[in-house]
Amino acid sequence: MTKKDETVNPVSKDNMERLDILIDELKGIFSNIKAHEIMNTSVVVIMPDRTLYQAKELMRLRKISGLPVCDENGMLVGIVSIEDIIKALENNYINDKIERWMTKNVVWISEDEELIDIVEKFSRYGFGRFPVLNTETHRVIGIITKADILSTILNKLKNLYVRDQRMTNVLENTDLHSISLITGEKLDKSGADFYFEINYTDINMAGVGAAKLREFLLSKGFNEELVRRVAIATYEAETNVVIHSESIGKIYCFIRDDFIKVRVEDYGKGIENLELAMQEGFSTAPDYIREFGFGAGMGLVNMKRCSDKIVVVSEVGKGVIVEMLFNIKTGREET
Amino acid sequence: MKLSEIAKILNAKILTCEDKADEIDIKIVGASDMMSDVLLIAKPGMLLITGLNSPQVIRTANIVGIPAVVVVRKNVVPSETIEAAKNFGIALLHSPIPMYVACGKLYEKKLKDVAGIIE
Repeated sequence: MTKKDETVNPVSKDNMERLDILIDELKGIFSNIKAHEIMNTSVVVIMPDRTLYQAKELMRLRKISGLPVCDENGMLVGIVSIEDIIKALENNYINDKIERWMTKNVVWISEDEELIDIVEKFSRYGFGRFPVLNTETHRVIGIITKADILSTILNKLKNLYVRDQRMTNVLENTDLHSISLITGEKLDKSGADFYFEINYTDINMAGVGAAKLREFLLSKGFNEELVRRVAIATYEAETNVVIHSESIGKIYCFIRDDFIKVRVEDYGKGIENLELAMQEGFSTAPDYIREFGFGAGMGLVNMKRCSDKIVVVSEVGKGVIVEMLFNIKTGREET
Repeated sequence: MKLSEIAKILNAKILTCEDKADEIDIKIVGASDMMSDVLLIAKPGMLLITGLNSPQVIRTANIVGIPAVVVVRKNVVPSETIEAAKNFGIALLHSPIPMYVACGKLYEKKLKDVAGIIE
């Protein structure tokens, strides 16, 4: 799938290389997903001595389209699907026992199987679901449908930052502080339309910069809804600097024709696990911070929600840079 | 509902912007102690009920366009907070009633929450 077709060339060689890099990166992220991360663990099973009618009722009540059939020891002996039920209804044997009509040669997945092999199984057999078995006990521990695969991938994507060539330029540049993370252009900070230095020594001062920026943008005649989005995101970023960085921080705001760019930098201890930090509700804030009403683990989530584009770069011990773009002309609905 | 009326219902002292208490008209109310939650849920024009009394509350309110804040559950409101409210022109109220009761009293008067929900 990753092989590139040399004869089709609407894309330049340069772009192709970038695409290859991207695919490699995606492969790295998705290939090591194992069955036990994808599967739905609340799997409903049925005993072979029940009737197809009972299987039908169970499927209807639980809104599922297939049931693994297990004996009293939890060992997989077959599988019954909605197709089997339809056939049973057509041919009038819905009150027969399941064991007579179930599929006995069940194709299953072991809990350690990797995503790529699982996807391959779906396309090879054309089944709608596969039971997942424990490698040693061979008991059913979960079930995987295509929907489970999709939602796992979507969840991973949520945490993924795809870097394109511009980003590579940024990352290879040793002086991150002089280049825009989003556009890759050289950043002339002296040309910033707004600048504020964050006082990290006093939690009571958190939010002063965002308030000043809000006032500034309102004075420039931007509409309130846009200013509100910028202010909320900046406030969260500023609070993060005060709570976490233990260093000074800077807020820059650049106004362009079609967007407002806000950049918040610090030189402090950095974020250890960015993926974790992006998760809703995750917080490393100390308890006393919570007394000030912060530390709910909503900071980055809020920033993402309010901005149209956001890039966060961090290295432990070197600080955090958050860059956010807010489109001026979009009729973005408040959610 | 007029803010002055709300102050009466909550037995609250108006600490700042008393002159605007008859002008500010409240239609929706939210209650939280987490500032990030406030940033997430608040709608412009909302009345905020909170157990926090730090100046952050006022700054947060200012950012999301909250015109009035009721501090509950606290014996005092620090002067920095009052000062911040004055600067931003936000009405600050101090009520001796617990948060749950304060919410209940306003709910009873058919004030809605941010999603416009009321039974």
